Amino acid sequence: MHPNNGFYGEFGGQFTPETLIPALDELEGAFNEFKKSRDNESELARYLKYFAGRPTPVYKAENLSKKYGVTIYLKREDLLHTGAHKINNALGQAMLTRFMGKKRIIAETGAGQHGVATATVAALFGLDCAIYMGSVDAERQMPNVKKMKLLGAGVNLVDTGLKTLKDAVSASLKDWVANVTDTHYLIGSAVGPHPFPEIVSYFQSVIGTESREHFQSLGFMPDYVIACVGGGSNAIGIFQAFLDTGTRLIGIEAGGRSLDPGENSATLARGKKGIFQGTLTYLLQNDNFQIEDVHSVSAGLDYPGVGPQHSWLRDTGRVEYSHVFDKSALHAFRELTRLEGIIPALESSHALAYVLDNSSLFHGKNVLVNLSGRGDKDFGIVEKYNLEEL
Amino acid sequence: MRGIYILGGYPDRESFKKRFLAVAETGYDFIEVGLPFNDPVADGPVIAGAHNRVINNGTTIQSIINDIIDLKNISIKKYIMTYSNIIYSYGIDAFSKKLDGYIDGLIIADLPNRMIGFFYGRGLKIPIVPFATLETRNSDLDSIIHSKSDFIYFVGIRGITGSKADLTSKELLEKIKMLRAVTDKKIIIGFGIKSPEDAAAALIAGDGFVVGTESVSRQEDPVKFERYIKSLMVASKN
Ligand SMILES: Cc1ncc(COP(=O)(O)O)c(C=O)c1O
Repeated sequence: MHPNNGFYGEFGGQFTPETLIPALDELEGAFNEFKKSRDNESELARYLKYFAGRPTPVYKAENLSKKYGVTIYLKREDLLHTGAHKINNALGQAMLTRFMGKKRIIAETGAGQHGVATATVAALFGLDCAIYMGSVDAERQMPNVKKMKLLGAGVNLVDTGLKTLKDAVSASLKDWVANVTDTHYLIGSAVGPHPFPEIVSYFQSVIGTESREHFQSLGFMPDYVIACVGGGSNAIGIFQAFLDTGTRLIGIEAGGRSLDPGENSATLARGKKGIFQGTLTYLLQNDNFQIEDVHSVSAGLDYPGVGPQHSWLRDTGRVEYSHVFDKSALHAFRELTRLEGIIPALESSHALAYVLDNSSLFHGKNVLVNLSGRGDKDFGIVEKYNLEEL
Repeated sequence: MRGIYILGGYPDRESFKKRFLAVAETGYDFIEVGLPFNDPVADGPVIAGAHNRVINNGTTIQSIINDIIDLKNISIKKYIMTYSNIIYSYGIDAFSKKLDGYIDGLIIADLPNRMIGFFYGRGLKIPIVPFATLETRNSDLDSIIHSKSDFIYFVGIRGITGSKADLTSKELLEKIKMLRAVTDKKIIIGFGIKSPEDAAAALIAGDGFVVGTESVSRQEDPVKFERYIKSLMVASKN
């Protein structure tokens, strides 16, 4: 998706301290060079195939389809090396880092998937690596904290605010301002100042491209494509390839415990336009112009903003956005695990839950769900619930 | 030009107004009043912590703005320093109409020079102060020179408020020289000014200074606050 002067409609822009502007320009230049070079493209394709395990299959979930009366296809990003779609973007941006001659990468992480992906490419490319993670998230996604450390990354726990994703992004921006000369901020979602949303959605577009090819080979397009939306990278990655088709696209945010303020992160359902962490976008804020508290059972969706491309796609009407509550996500987690033998990430469970909760709406339709990641990181959270009761 | 940053509504509205008056009475040329935001990406723990306290106390942006307007007759140049979302979400046009004539300019920590036009284009009449930084390139100079502001805010460090600047570094002096070659606007150094010695050094390297973290960390205590702002004034006049 191409921005106009850094904006998608009225959303986007570069709302950052002046100190970062030369680095953002350098990044944009590197990205443009990267896209021009066949060698770079083929090197990235090699990493994606032999290192990360692409292409990922589109799997027809027969048991689930039968039970719910909907033909459900899963784009299996959970099968990728490191367990989620985040590695697509991490590999791409690691190549940009090398091109710019920077020696250190930093990243925020919520669920820890992007932190693990970043620590992984740091090991692969021989870069120093520091990860920022809210201390609440670190506790609920402990396996990923251990993986990052094993991979040689420094993990910095963030104890400000709600100690979750938003606070990790703030801490990363602060590190970047201080170390901008030798450091690249390898942002993990389609958020932040231009050109980050464009770059992240470019590197994630492989999800949609492969999905579309699969359906082309089947001879039809899916009726619906559904993806969860935290910052919006897996969703924009899969939606892009279908924008010019008749397929209906639905992004699912975290409804959390309820739609009351502080209980969810349903930014596009409840937010107002605002400026946050580099970009103009829909934003959960109160009437004193302060960022609202957020909650989700999943550590990767509780972000009070959303990528500017999604704000624009919502306003143009091309993509619909909805939300599911924590309980529904846990229910979908159990269903996929028990019926298909696939343990999904709690983030991805939100996308699936929307189909299961609204199965009458989707009856007889072909629905593609982006299974953005696998769920072994979530054992600590899931243990606290009685899945049999859901 | 000597300046002090204090946070509006901190630790409460009355104390804020008293500290404001103390800054004016001590003879400072300008004051920057912060409007709190709970995701202050340019601020270190001291100022960020103060922002959160004001917000958690229930003090509204609107009430701080009203307090600033009440102080209109105090003779000192007044600037508001805040974040983009506060002005954007208040309503750019409404914010401008409310404060035009009462303040001399705006310093917006997460608004780079190239985005200033975004705010003017949406009805802002109050001048926005441009930034120069240790990263400023020749190609950035145009947006600085042609700004509507009467001064340039030079960010003396790479980093957030609360760190310490090296006011004699070759890098900093060269950036200031680069600015001097193209503009007569005053260059005020902010971020990283802590001690009376720093204040004096900033007046040698540039045309002035503004302190933030050191003033906010004393903003609760009138005695410490006044002693501190006087010490900077004395040192910078020697
Ligand atoms: C598996 C998985 N899916 C989705 C997300 C949400 O991010 P995004 O909206 O950028 O895809 C995360 C974030 O941590 C994740 O780990």
